[in-house]
Amino acid sequence: MIKYWSLFLVSFKQAWNKKANLSGLLFFLFILLFIYNRLWEVIAADSFTSGLNRTFIWYLLFAEMIILSNPKIDRILFDDIISGTMAYYINKPISFFFMRYVEAVGTMSVSFFVMGGFGTLITLLFTGKPPFEWWQFPIIFIMCYLSSCINIIMYTAIGMCTLWLASIRTLAMAIERLAFTLGGAIFPLSIYPEWFINIAQWTPFYSFYYLTIKLVYDFSFSNLFHAIFLNMFWILLVGSFIALSYHKLTKRINIYGG
Amino acid sequence: MAANLKNLIKLFFYIQKSNLKTAFLNKSDAFVNVLMMTINNLSFIFMWWIIFQDRNSINGWQFGQMALLFAIGNNAFGFFALCTRGIQLIPELIENGNLDNFLTSPQNSLFLIATSEATFANWGDFVTGFLMFFLSGYVSWHTFGIMLFCSFMGFILMFAIRLLASSLAFFVSDSQRLGDNIFISFLTFASQPASIFTGWYKVIFLTILPAGLLSFVPVNLITNFSWSECLFFILAVLFFFGISLFAYHTGLKRYSSGNRFGVR
Repeated sequence: MIKYWSLFLVSFKQAWNKKANLSGLLFFLFILLFIYNRLWEVIAADSFTSGLNRTFIWYLLFAEMIILSNPKIDRILFDDIISGTMAYYINKPISFFFMRYVEAVGTMSVSFFVMGGFGTLITLLFTGKPPFEWWQFPIIFIMCYLSSCINIIMYTAIGMCTLWLASIRTLAMAIERLAFTLGGAIFPLSIYPEWFINIAQWTPFYSFYYLTIKLVYDFSFSNLFHAIFLNMFWILLVGSFIALSYHKLTKRINIYGG
Repeated sequence: MAANLKNLIKLFFYIQKSNLKTAFLNKSDAFVNVLMMTINNLSFIFMWWIIFQDRNSINGWQFGQMALLFAIGNNAFGFFALCTRGIQLIPELIENGNLDNFLTSPQNSLFLIATSEATFANWGDFVTGFLMFFLSGYVSWHTFGIMLFCSFMGFILMFAIRLLASSLAFFVSDSQRLGDNIFISFLTFASQPASIFTGWYKVIFLTILPAGLLSFVPVNLITNFSWSECLFFILAVLFFFGISLFAYHTGLKRYSSGNRFGVR
């Protein structure tokens, strides 16, 4: 475990030192919060509903923390597999998959915590107070952090698709957009029609994103446990796919070489 | 000068032809990518369609205007990704010293960098762009012409903003994602209903991050054309284009070689 912890620390420190990248991320987060705060303000004024921006901007903040902190592990795995770099790692006394995963979690953690601190301040400035009680904040924060870890697992699965596809860039983009729509990562699913929510419920995006982030404006322990159990089910399914493709991959490397 | 320009145009079409040939080496993969890009774009538009189903208009803007915005935005991005996407690699080229390969070539370095990358999947942007135009409810030969013109001007603006963001790498180290995020912020700004920005918001929208030039102004030109606004649009886009070229060349003067040997 110590070697994985060391890998985590190394990637954490590397990401922390990339100040220009972090400031770019914060700039984008600010623009997003600024635009959507304005949008919900205008919609609220049009429909004479107050507090609409308060609920949805906090929701958006946590959604974007999950989406934007994603370190694009799919591209790293794609490069590893296509260039054959992977072959150098699989005979080392360390699991290639866990090595890349832990490194990605290290990078993600920096973006997640920095965006969490900055985003909370900005959103507080925009909205005054959050739609949840402050004692619920650490629980929501931890749940979103876990969702970000799960998000990396999903993108690992996309990276593994390099086995069958010549390019995974468009697939990753399509999955990201599906997260926005089926996972309600920009507009919460509660504003979508019933038929659409029924479809979304059958996808992993529903639990990875929506159920977790929904805690921001609809916190209850039953919702919390619902999110945890459904997430565990999808981790099992996505994890099995990764294990299967990893097995296939190592077999191919053994036959054709790196 | 004229002969040089003619050569560059010839080279540009030759590169585009080779890109198409390369993409068609695996036809099914190419078409799947285009299809995925189209679905990708449509799923984003679907979110807005839902919002407009719920409320007929947002501060005066209806779905027809949003469809025009997506038509222009997607077509402009299609042009950008197919013709000049390479400029987003500038920070990476500076960091690993590969910029030298382009600088030592007798051709224009910016032209070579810009055309060094293209993604065939972005033909899907044109599919979405034209589909949105025909669904907008503003279809006529006249508006079609304006839409094509605005898409092309939008492409020049996108090129300018991306070049400005990429040129930051000459001044700030390790800024690959900084440039990406500035460009994505610009695109995000440009893909919102322009009617939500009023007063000071509108000033920011048209100047600091000039996303209004990609959404508000072109949509206005299609729905309510005026020559004065058209002239303002052209001058504003050319202004940002000029600034971006200035930033790139100023950055180049600061650039010290990566001392990496290579031939292109």
